[in-house]
Amino acid sequence: MWQRVAGAGWRTFLAVGLVCGVGLLPWLTSTDPAYTVLKARSAEREPTPEVLADIRRQLGIDGGPLHVLTGWLGGLVRGDAGQSWISGGDVLPDVLRALGASLLLMAVALLVAVLTAGLICARTLRLGARRRLGGRRGGGSASAVLASLPEFLVASVLATVVGVQLGWLPALGWYGPQWTVLPALALGLPAGAVLGRLLDDLLPGAFGEPWALAAAARGLTGRSIARQALRRCVPALLPNLGLFVVGLTGGAVAVEQVFDIPGLGRTTLQAALAQDLPVLQAGTLALVLLAALATGATRVAARLLTGPALRDGALSSLHRPAPPAGGLLPLLYGLVLLAVVGLGLARDPLALDTGQRLRAPSLDHPFGTDALGRDLLARVGHGALDTLLLAAAISAAALLAGVLLGLVPRISAPLVDTVNAVPPVLVALLVTAVAGSGAATPALAVGAVAWAPLAAHTSSLLRQERATLHITATKGLGAGRVHLLRYELLPAVVPPVLRHALLRLPGVALALASLGFLGLGAQPPSPEWGLLLAENQPYAERAPWAVLAPAAVLALLGALAVSAAGGLRRRPAKPSPGTTEAAAGPERRSVAGTEQEPAGVR
Amino acid sequence: MRCRAPARHTPARELHVSVPNLIDPRTMRFHRHPRLLAPFLLVPLMAGCFASGGGDDSGSGGKDGDGDGARLRVALAFPPAEKLSPYGADATLLSRLGVTEGLTSLDANGSAAPALAESWRRDGDKTWEFSLRDATFQDGGEVTPAAVAESLAHATDAEPAPAALAGVDLRAEASGDRVVRITTAEPDPVLPLRLSSPSLAILSKGAYGKGSRVDPVGHATGPFELTEVNGATSASLDRFDDYWGGRAQASGIDARFIADGTARANALRTGELDIAEAVPVAQAASLDKKTRRDTATTRTTSLLLNASSGTFEDAGLRAAARGALDTSVFAEDVYEGYADPAAGVYGPAVTWAEGKRTAPVGRAAAKKAGGATVHLATYDNRPELPEVAQVVKQQLEKAGFTVKLTVREYSRLEGDALDGKFDAFVLARNTLLDTGDPVAVLASDYTCGGGFNIAQLCDKDVDRAVADAEKIADTAKRQDAAMAAEARILGSDAVVPLVHQRIITGVADSVQGVILDPYERTLVGTGTRR
Repeated sequence: MWQRVAGAGWRTFLAVGLVCGVGLLPWLTSTDPAYTVLKARSAEREPTPEVLADIRRQLGIDGGPLHVLTGWLGGLVRGDAGQSWISGGDVLPDVLRALGASLLLMAVALLVAVLTAGLICARTLRLGARRRLGGRRGGGSASAVLASLPEFLVASVLATVVGVQLGWLPALGWYGPQWTVLPALALGLPAGAVLGRLLDDLLPGAFGEPWALAAAARGLTGRSIARQALRRCVPALLPNLGLFVVGLTGGAVAVEQVFDIPGLGRTTLQAALAQDLPVLQAGTLALVLLAALATGATRVAARLLTGPALRDGALSSLHRPAPPAGGLLPLLYGLVLLAVVGLGLARDPLALDTGQRLRAPSLDHPFGTDALGRDLLARVGHGALDTLLLAAAISAAALLAGVLLGLVPRISAPLVDTVNAVPPVLVALLVTAVAGSGAATPALAVGAVAWAPLAAHTSSLLRQERATLHITATKGLGAGRVHLLRYELLPAVVPPVLRHALLRLPGVALALASLGFLGLGAQPPSPEWGLLLAENQPYAERAPWAVLAPAAVLALLGALAVSAAGGLRRRPAKPSPGTTEAAAGPERRSVAGTEQEPAGVR
Repeated sequence: MRCRAPARHTPARELHVSVPNLIDPRTMRFHRHPRLLAPFLLVPLMAGCFASGGGDDSGSGGKDGDGDGARLRVALAFPPAEKLSPYGADATLLSRLGVTEGLTSLDANGSAAPALAESWRRDGDKTWEFSLRDATFQDGGEVTPAAVAESLAHATDAEPAPAALAGVDLRAEASGDRVVRITTAEPDPVLPLRLSSPSLAILSKGAYGKGSRVDPVGHATGPFELTEVNGATSASLDRFDDYWGGRAQASGIDARFIADGTARANALRTGELDIAEAVPVAQAASLDKKTRRDTATTRTTSLLLNASSGTFEDAGLRAAARGALDTSVFAEDVYEGYADPAAGVYGPAVTWAEGKRTAPVGRAAAKKAGGATVHLATYDNRPELPEVAQVVKQQLEKAGFTVKLTVREYSRLEGDALDGKFDAFVLARNTLLDTGDPVAVLASDYTCGGGFNIAQLCDKDVDRAVADAEKIADTAKRQDAAMAAEARILGSDAVVPLVHQRIITGVADSVQGVILDPYERTLVGTGTRR
């Protein structure tokens, strides 16, 4: 009982800390809110001292941060979230309206994501239900490509092709159900691909469990076996689903922009840039509350799905059978990527020739040229090193932090929710406030968020792993906590989380680029991949190659990461013979079998 | 979650009808799993979460035959920032939609033209008399001198004061039944120009409630009357039948505020819009040739060189930088022809400027760059500027400078720029500002005491030339003096004009009479129809 109280207390502490942190933002970053508010109202107005003084008086911020914060909190108790500093209108109705639109968008996007995930897992489910998974190689390149597509790119392509050229669905606005389809697809496809990949990663393990064999022998239909396998695997993903719910509600800025949706993402972005604190605080608070609700809901759902088994420690370990050798696929992807980078490095990424702008791919410019006539192959090649090194380093740090914090879910779970609920710009501003705008700040800002889904994944896997029979057995044989962690829990948990981290690597690269407008991260004319995508986005229709080239290498990177990670699985001590046969299968774990090598690198 | 009640034209009604069909007992699947239905019951609730207004892409109102024009569907680039208060940037939005008017307006030559005032005359140094025309407010009242004086008094009392009134102490009073006398503390030779500013629009008494809020809905004098404003999403306007300039041809306007340029262009292409403001250069090619109309604007993109610290403190290096720039590529390539090559501070939209231009005075001889470092900055709110800056960077590097480029969001950059933290800055600047007075921009941008002096220029000759120009009342002579000051400023090489921007307005084929205004103050007028 007291644990639950402590958890709630910790969660409240974080939320209050966050809202106060937001309230102190202008003073932490020493950026005058009167100035940013003036610029948000009217960008061309000269910031003379008299004008700024008038605004300060109007906003009532002469009294300092504490005065402003206590005033706002006092109002909140009475159900009044204050007035927007920019428009002077009441905050609450505006934020609630934006939240309504965002929740609706998120709900439809979630539906799309679930359908996408279902399609991705369909093959595994079908084969698993017929017990023919044995010889299947871990593929999933297509879903990895989908997962690495930037939302804004999917959104602009959908708006232009489906909305404008084909005219099937409205390309703009937010007036009824048919307006939700395209934005939901743009948000839901990449999210669904990530979820589908993670689920597809777990399913073979479930099909390999003894009950599945028994059920098949008993003559249960493949369909009900598949359903039970899903039921077995979904709880591990629920926390991540919860994170998507909150992330899509508050962080869909790009999609809201492309489709002109009056959602919470744009509201909070504008408020963060203008330091419109009442709006920013109300928006953040709404997202944090939503995060708490989502977590509660996923917890209940997880209990409904695997409750008794979790409680009684009656699960078996969810490890898929050892896959056959990784195959040529990762090698192929790697070679293509290397070839592109190698060819690009031999060219000049900065040579401008505005007479050659937006040229289609040709022998001179195999990937075409961008809006300033620079060779895209050269830019992609030269950008690779920066992008990959930094993104890989951030991903590695996030993986480490995620796994470590995932081991102590009581502390990390509320932290995960809170961090995930904060809009990315706000995180960047808060990190800048603390760390200054140095060279490491963008990496810190992205890393501060990137660990959260990994920690959530770790702790949900850990929860299941702790409830397995072999842990009980190992405990019974007198193993200590360290031994359990080192030889049982971590080896079981780390590989899927590592694959998850790799899946998100392209996303990290994109997130880095999205901070550029704050003056953080790569600046033009650097050929960093995220920047390449962003600067060529306006030309997506006229010169599709200009966005396709960086998007394709990013997708290739995703596919490489996932297919190579297919090899990063546990190897059984003695490979069971005849793995291709239907009956071959589950990696029988025994106490003796615990002395396997941990998450090995093939 | 609290959502708005469905507005008139949202599809909520259709949804209400379709829900019961799902619960039809004949549909076995739903019958077996009533739980699955729960989400569908939320559908009518959710309908309230959509944005209201503007959803009718058939064009509500329709064409009711002759005389009663269809409603216009217009997309504006900037949503209202301050609930349509006329004292900030929203003023332009109101005047572009034909809602508000001032006593005067700007004509094509940049001089003051009659609007609510029929004529005016100067009475002594500090006083002007404006004779009003017969006009009515949209709420039915007459536009009387007393009402005008009160409206102007509210503008002078606003905090912060409207930009057009910055540093001006102005008092208006009724004099007789048709005349308003306006007295300023200091002689103000450009008062009629100043009063053309959209932020000095005349509103009726009803617009000013308690407190400082000003509500222009139904209280202005223009040909269109605001009827409904949906936050920062959309607004509806109806024709104001008693407009003094005659009834507008369009029966109303459905305005939408769409911040994303690509989205505006897309909406125009799908026929959801009749007029789309400010189509980005990158999207222009996706519109039909007939659809995109470009107009020269008073906006000039220049490279400002920091004349008081760093590398460009040396006038010789400034001259070297100017010499290194090949400005022809900007208009032609970066702006794809939607800009004019730079001629000076004022571009072709300032129609009188070209005939009065004199050669730059007092230029220094160029020195060798010799690897001097330059910190160049610009902002990404206008997508062309980072591209311009990258070309500038390359050209300067060719001439032997070492250039570092910073690109940020404008509000994160301006403060540093005003503090002189950069050596060079690429800026797109409106050269006629809020008053329409050509001298104002020179005073604020290039004099020692100027409030927007990013070039950090402090030059006695320039200051004197600008001060001379500020004193002149006669329009033509003031323009001559402004050009003399421009020649001094260009001679200092603290500013290198790169291009004069053209603005692209997307106009559907069927629409006629759109006002393409170089000052970006009007867009829809009485003659606009489709």
